[in-house]
Amino acid sequence: MALQSATLAESESGESVESRNGLRRRLLHSPLTLTGLVITLIFVVLAIIGPWISPYDPSAVSDAALAGPSAAHWLGTTQNGQDVFSQMLYGARASMIVGLGAAVLTTVLSVLVGVTAGYLGGIGDEVLSLLANVFLVLPGLPLTIILAAYLPHTGNAGIILVITVTGWAWGARVLRAQTLSLRKRDFVEAARATGDRTSRIILRDILPNQVAVIAAAFLGTVTGAILTQASLAFLGLTDVTQWSWGTILYWAQVSSALLTGSWWWFVPAGLAIALLGTALSLVNFGIDEFINPRLRQAGIGTKKAQRAQVKRTRRSLRRRARRERAERPTRAPFTSESTDLILDVRGLKVDYLSGNTRTPAVDDVSFALRRGEVLGIAGESGSGKSTLAYAIARMHKPPAQISDGRIIYTNPDGSTVDVLGMSDAELREFRWEELSIVLQSAMHALNPILRIGVQIEDVIIAHRPRMSSQERAARILELLAIVGIPADRANSYPHELSGGMRQRAMIAVGLALDPEIIVMDEPTTALDVVIQRQIIEKIVELKDKLGFSVIFITHDLSLLIELSDTIAVMYGGKIVEKAAADEFYRNAQHPYSRGLLNSFPTLGGPKRELTGIPGSPPDLRRLPDGCAFQPRCPVAVDECRSTMPPLYRITSSTGESSEAACLLYAAAQSTREMSEDGARAS
Amino acid sequence: MRTIARKAGFYLLTAWAAISLNFLIPRIMPGDPADNLINEFHGKLSPSAVHALRVLFGQTGQNLWQQYLSYWHSVFTFDFGTSYAYYPSSVSSVLGQSMYWTLILITICTVLGFVIGTALGVLVGWKRGTWLDSLIPVTTFLSSIPYFWFAIIIAFVFAITLNWFPFSGGYAVTETIGFNGGFIVSAIEYAVLPAATIVVASLGGWLISMRNMMVTTLSEDYVRLAEAKGLPRRRVVFTYAARNAMLPSLSGFAMSLGFVVGGSIVTEVVFNYPGLGTVLFKAAQAADYPLMSAIFLLITVLVLIANLLADVAYVFLDPRTRES
Repeated sequence: MALQSATLAESESGESVESRNGLRRRLLHSPLTLTGLVITLIFVVLAIIGPWISPYDPSAVSDAALAGPSAAHWLGTTQNGQDVFSQMLYGARASMIVGLGAAVLTTVLSVLVGVTAGYLGGIGDEVLSLLANVFLVLPGLPLTIILAAYLPHTGNAGIILVITVTGWAWGARVLRAQTLSLRKRDFVEAARATGDRTSRIILRDILPNQVAVIAAAFLGTVTGAILTQASLAFLGLTDVTQWSWGTILYWAQVSSALLTGSWWWFVPAGLAIALLGTALSLVNFGIDEFINPRLRQAGIGTKKAQRAQVKRTRRSLRRRARRERAERPTRAPFTSESTDLILDVRGLKVDYLSGNTRTPAVDDVSFALRRGEVLGIAGESGSGKSTLAYAIARMHKPPAQISDGRIIYTNPDGSTVDVLGMSDAELREFRWEELSIVLQSAMHALNPILRIGVQIEDVIIAHRPRMSSQERAARILELLAIVGIPADRANSYPHELSGGMRQRAMIAVGLALDPEIIVMDEPTTALDVVIQRQIIEKIVELKDKLGFSVIFITHDLSLLIELSDTIAVMYGGKIVEKAAADEFYRNAQHPYSRGLLNSFPTLGGPKRELTGIPGSPPDLRRLPDGCAFQPRCPVAVDECRSTMPPLYRITSSTGESSEAACLLYAAAQSTREMSEDGARAS
Repeated sequence: MRTIARKAGFYLLTAWAAISLNFLIPRIMPGDPADNLINEFHGKLSPSAVHALRVLFGQTGQNLWQQYLSYWHSVFTFDFGTSYAYYPSSVSSVLGQSMYWTLILITICTVLGFVIGTALGVLVGWKRGTWLDSLIPVTTFLSSIPYFWFAIIIAFVFAITLNWFPFSGGYAVTETIGFNGGFIVSAIEYAVLPAATIVVASLGGWLISMRNMMVTTLSEDYVRLAEAKGLPRRRVVFTYAARNAMLPSLSGFAMSLGFVVGGSIVTEVVFNYPGLGTVLFKAAQAADYPLMSAIFLLITVLVLIANLLADVAYVFLDPRTRES
């Protein structure tokens, strides 16, 4: 019978819909985007005032034929002595009108089709999507040319119409997909359930959340339309007596400006188109980065930042000779009295850097992991537990940085090494050989295009280059058998496996080199309760058989109590309580731990009221003064607002000891017996 | 296999839509282009050419359905009537002469542009945050340039000013077309500048989209995990990151292909290259509707075939589309 799963409050993360203000702020902050905006504005202004400030009539002929740039003619003259600069100014207006006009019409059509298709679904959606796909695949320019050729004298309106007809499909497809996903969101479902009118839901709940995508489609169409208009004009398919950048190029081409070397005739028009296109693309980049936050991080992921991920000087270390490891000797099962340390984390501090501010996500965390032990780390989202998992394996990426602390690993031969001081090569050897990690979502952690067997084999090839392919194949089958995956599944791709099987495959990848420690970051969160149970049982069984140690990170406290030898509770980036699992269950000391335990029912024992914890997890950027838990704490006193409590050692009436970071125990204990870790923390 | 069959079905449908559209456009357009055209020739058109023109614009006595059927008949027999720009050649013979130039030039250049752009995108994405990022505004600029204008600049610099390459045409007039060394060397020499234009102008777009996909993919858990597993860098970059990052790029091929092909054919005009682009230009100048329709059909079919090939490649690269 599966234990009732109790989870801590998961705060809304990431998925929340970003506001339009956020978009505006982002756009104005990036220098490239700002440059793009400024250039675009300049062109818009020129298009508006162009005809008034242009020095000549663009069509007026003069004697100064094919004159180069001069004070009188800034951009020189054409074969007929017309002023190129004036033509450019007049042309800006025509190009802008076509660009903006086509973009407005196209965007309206895209929104209409996309949102309707996405919102209505069913047969209407099928038909509209098919239509959009057909138009997407039809080569736009040839179709445009044909259409324009039939409409030679309709002027800009005809061109705008033609571009709209050929260009609406892309935006419609993107917006349809967006609408589909928005429709499934809670706030839209809620509005539908309460019987709001469809038009109201679309206007109030759907469209405002698509502003970024609509803006991107709009700007993209402006660029596309200006390019298309220029191509058509260049081919002579528009009214060639009406000045636009394309017509300038048309006349330059038919008058052989190339052969006469009059570069001033054809360079400015193309340059203007390219410049405006670049400016619009730069603005679109800003929007892209807004839509896709991962792109924003790109600039931070520099090699320099990568190297500086651990902010301290490297100590010279005794190099470990590379060895093909033999079978590990079977060890005595873990007991709570064991002092055989394998990993000793001391004063670990991980910050997220953003500009000049550092946000501590893991703040002065210390714990010891003993050989064969299962250490459970519990915490709500945002408590720093996943950051801690990544930092232990040094898999954290910028902007996360380990700013202080030590992670001492004890080799099987008894020598010790600081993981944070390892060079890249040493780290490469250490990871997976000694310590591996199993991530939360196997769906994301397995490469979707490689077979399971290959992904296991990759590790073996990298670390055991001398192993023959037969030996590797045998090892893969052995590993799959260990985690209970049928041998023929080695040739399956991740998407062909069930969720539970994928997670077991992840564990098989983690076990590939028979490591000493496995860090498991919420390995069962994405699974249903029954599968969760199977995986946990498998982990316990394997641990007993193979003798590795586990750091198990989760927000599921009930699971943790059952599985772990020792439990550490994290809050606001710190460990607030550390105790043996059964001691923790019976005698939680920290008010936060008690709150957690009271928020889920027990299987046996007397009935009690489920209270939960009022309030929500703290914002790491704005931690309260003193104890981080103090604003939500039912027993907080004034001192809690000013004093950050270290971990105090507490001995219960049964003789068991635990540690808790709460001033309750500073007052209760006359001797103020602080733990070793607590002393460092103060 | 099912995926490919479904895709092929979709392209058949699209081809049908395009061909029908081509039937419809002359019939719904305002004005009377047929009479204008006939008048322009001042009675020098043969009666059969006049008839062909009436057929194109639906001015025969037949009802629409009969017209549609005979239109399909002419599509399957490649009978698109007489060209007016190249009067009295038939449309199919004009296309037959120009098609191969375009097909060879554009196929090679599109593939080259895609491969080079994507490869550079992998590099710039992998080295994100280094000086290579400063390539982004440069490539953005390159991809915003109108193809034909870039062609003019290239021609001006390398053909007119430096005189390194021939400026106009597809081969030296002293050579005879055929499979002989002199002709091939000459054709390659004449193709260098148009090819360079198309490759350089198209690779910027591929580069940027690949770079962005690469950056997105690099923060996927499986890439992080691959690094942690201690895999050689090459394996992480190509098998774990790039191969996954490429998939959206490949499926976006459809959208971009029409654009690239469109841009390329306009490039031909600048170099007076003897391909479809130049023919289309002349056809547009002469309001040669039969020729324009046929070119549109031809390009559409070629683009659809290219898309189908891209989809086949996609199925090979992404096992998720290969349902057993």
